[in-house]
Amino acid sequence: MDLRYTEADEHFRTELRAWLDQSVPAAWRAPGYWSAVPAEEGFERRRAWEADKAAAGFSGIDWPVEFGGRGGTPAQKAIHDEELARIGAPTTVNALGLAFLAPTVMKIGTDEQKRQIIGPLLRNEVIWCQGFSEPDAGSDLAAIRTRGVREGDAYVVNGQKIWTSNALHADRMFALVRTHPGERKHQGLSMLLIDLHSPGVEVRPLRQLSGALDFGEVFLTDVRVPADAVLGTPGEGWAVAMLLLSFERGSSAMGQYTAFRRELDQVIELARRTERGGRPAIEDPSVRQRIAKLHTELELLRLHSLHVLTQVEKGRALGATSSLTKLQWSQTHQDLGDLFTEVAGADHQLTDGTDAAAYGLQRAFLWSRSETIWGGSSEIQRGIVAEQLLGLPR
Amino acid sequence: MDFTLDEEQIGLQAAVRDLISAHADLNVVRTVVDDVDPESDGEPPGLWARITEQGWPAVLVPEEHGGLGLGLLEAAVIARCLGAGVVPGPIVAGLLAGEAIRAAGSPEQQATWLPMLAEGRARSTVALLRPGAAWDAPGDGVEAVASAPDDPVGKLTGEIGQVEYAHLADRIVVAAGGTDPDGEPGLWLLDPAGPGVTITRTPTLDATTRTSTLSLIGATAERLPGGDRAVLTGLVSRATVLTANDLIGTAREALTRTVDHLKTREQFGRPIGSFQALKHHLADLLVGLTMAEHAGWYAAHALDAGLPDAPVAVSVAKAKASEVARLATARMIQYHGGIGYTWEHETHLFFKRARRLEQTYGDAAAHFGRIATLTLG
Repeated sequence: MDLRYTEADEHFRTELRAWLDQSVPAAWRAPGYWSAVPAEEGFERRRAWEADKAAAGFSGIDWPVEFGGRGGTPAQKAIHDEELARIGAPTTVNALGLAFLAPTVMKIGTDEQKRQIIGPLLRNEVIWCQGFSEPDAGSDLAAIRTRGVREGDAYVVNGQKIWTSNALHADRMFALVRTHPGERKHQGLSMLLIDLHSPGVEVRPLRQLSGALDFGEVFLTDVRVPADAVLGTPGEGWAVAMLLLSFERGSSAMGQYTAFRRELDQVIELARRTERGGRPAIEDPSVRQRIAKLHTELELLRLHSLHVLTQVEKGRALGATSSLTKLQWSQTHQDLGDLFTEVAGADHQLTDGTDAAAYGLQRAFLWSRSETIWGGSSEIQRGIVAEQLLGLPR
Repeated sequence: MDFTLDEEQIGLQAAVRDLISAHADLNVVRTVVDDVDPESDGEPPGLWARITEQGWPAVLVPEEHGGLGLGLLEAAVIARCLGAGVVPGPIVAGLLAGEAIRAAGSPEQQATWLPMLAEGRARSTVALLRPGAAWDAPGDGVEAVASAPDDPVGKLTGEIGQVEYAHLADRIVVAAGGTDPDGEPGLWLLDPAGPGVTITRTPTLDATTRTSTLSLIGATAERLPGGDRAVLTGLVSRATVLTANDLIGTAREALTRTVDHLKTREQFGRPIGSFQALKHHLADLLVGLTMAEHAGWYAAHALDAGLPDAPVAVSVAKAKASEVARLATARMIQYHGGIGYTWEHETHLFFKRARRLEQTYGDAAAHFGRIATLTLG
C-alpha cells in the first residue's frame, strides 16, 4: 500500500503546473468564468488554448511519441487531468476524438490513417464528432439504420445521426453505418470516417435542456464516403465500436474528481453567504449532513481513481469496472447539483448570471442531468455491472 | 501508485479465511447464536487457541514485546474476515486493548501485559465509549478519582453499556473522564475481578457477540499514564476503522450469498436474478460496497502512515461502511423472500450484526456530522 506517485511523475506534475500557471490567465480560473463566455467565442478560445497545450508537449500524455504523444505513464495522464481541473483550465474541444478515435486508430488503423488522423486531431486542426446514436438506436446501438451502399470506390450513405455532440463544429465524424448484409443486427456494420464538409451532409443543432446548442442531428443524403475511409475491416464495425468504447476502461476518474471537488468547494462557499430558513445555510444541520455526504462520495471517487490507476499500471484488465466508475461519478455529480439547488434556495433559478460562481454551478447542475444518459445510460451500466461483475443471469 | 494489499497482507487474509472456515464456519457460529444460556461464553470452543497459534492477538504488539509489529491495515484485514464470517469473540476488542497499552502504558505495564496479550494468555476487552456518548467524548459517563494527576492508581465510578466479552476479560481498558472540560480524559486498566465492579450480562439481537453493562463504584484501576485526549482519539479512531472493516466484510458476504441465491432460485420459469429490478438494486449495492472497501483499507493505511487526512478518512470509512452494510443485509433478507425471514436461515445473523456495528463507534449520521465539523469548521 503506497499511494505516492513516482519522482518522475511528480516532476511531470511540477513541469505541467508551471506551464499552466503561465498559460491560464487568472481571470479564466474564476468560478463560473467559462459558463459566461458566449458559446462560439468559448469554443474558439478553448480550441486555440488546447492547440497551444499540444504545441507545448502537454497533450496525448500517454500516447506513443511516434504519434505526437508524450509517451508518458497512466499516472501522468491522471496528473494531467487533475492539474487541468484544479486550475480551472479550458476543457477540450475534441473530447470523443481524443478519448476514443485516436486510441482505436493507433491500435487498428492503417499507416495512412495514423498519419492523417492522429496529429491533426491532437493539434485541433481537425475536430471530430461521434456518429452513433439515431432516433431509433440509442442504448440499442446495433439497431442503427444509416446505410452505406457500395458504388464503385465509395459508400453512398443515407441516414441520420442524433445527439451528436460537437456536430456544429466538427469537420469529421466517425460513424457506425450498415454497409453489408447480415443475419443479425450486429453484423454488417462498418466504422466509416465521414467528411462533414461533403455534399449531402446537413448538420442541424438541437437545443439542450440548458439552452445550449452543444449537440445536433446529422442528416446524410447520398453522401459519398471513399471506400478506404473505413476504420478496421468493412463489415466488422461492431467489433471496432466495442474496441473504441473499451478505451474508456483505462481512464481513472481523477479529472472528474478534481473538477467536482472544486464545485463542492464553491457550493460550500455559497452556503456561507446564502440563507436557508433565515440563517446562513452553512449552519443548517441538514445542509451540513448533505455536504459531508458529498464530501464522502467524492473522497470515495478519489480512492476509486487510485484503485483504477493501480490496476492500469499493473497491466490488469479492468473489464466492467468502468461501469462502476461511471455510476459513482455521475450519480455523485447529480447529488452535488441537488445540493447546489438546496443551498442556493429559490435563487438557483436565476439565469441573469450576475453571481458568476452560482451561474457556473447552475450550468454544472443542468449538465449533470445528462451524465447518467450519455456514454451508456446508468440503466445499461447497472445491467453490465449485474451481469459481468456479479454474474447474474441475462 | 499501489492501492492494493501487498503479498504478505494477501497471505494473511487467506490464512485468516482458512482458519475461520476450518474452526468457525457458520455451523459453529450457529451453535454460539443458538446457545441461550445467559452465562454462556459466547465463543466458538477452541477458537481462541487457534487464532493465538496463528498470531492474530500479536498483530499490533511491537516485536520487542513478542508481537508481530504489524499495523492497523493488517488488523483491518482480520476484522474484515471476521465480519464476513460473522465470527463471535473478543478478537478486535482484544487488539484494541493491547493497542491502548502499547500507546499509553508505562514501560512496566507494557512489559507485563503486551507479551501475555500477544500470546493469548490474557484475555482483554475495551470500554471506551458508552452508548449515547458523543464519538469525540470517550470516557463520558465514567469518572476517575485519583489523589494526584500522576497517581498511578485511581478509582473509577460510572457505567458503560454493551461492553463486549467483559465476562471473559482478565483486564478491561476503560476510558474515563471525557466530559470534564478542565481535565483530560484518561485510560485505565481495570481488573474486573476487583471490588466495585459489577458485570451484568445484556443479551443483544446480534447473538454473534456477548455484551455486559460494566458498572463501577469506586473500582480501583491502574492509570495508563500516556492516555490523554490525543491518544484516546487515536484509539477510538482505530476502533472505528476496525468496526468499519467488520461491517464491510459482513456486507460483502451478504451480497455474495444474495447473488448466489438469485442465480439458483427460480420463479416464473427463470432464475429470479434475471429480473432487472433485482439486478439494478444489487448493481447499485456493488458500487457502494466497492467504494466502502476502498475506504476501509485507506482509513487503516492513513492511520498507519500518519496521513494528514486520516481523521476524515476514519469517518468516511465508518459512514460508508455503515450505510452499505445496512443496505446489503436488508437486501439479503428481501431477496431471499420468506426464507430470509426465518431463524434457521443465516440471513438474520448478518442483518443483526451489521445493525449492531452500524450503531457502534458512530453511525453514518454521526460521522457525517464529524466530517462537517472537520471540513467546515
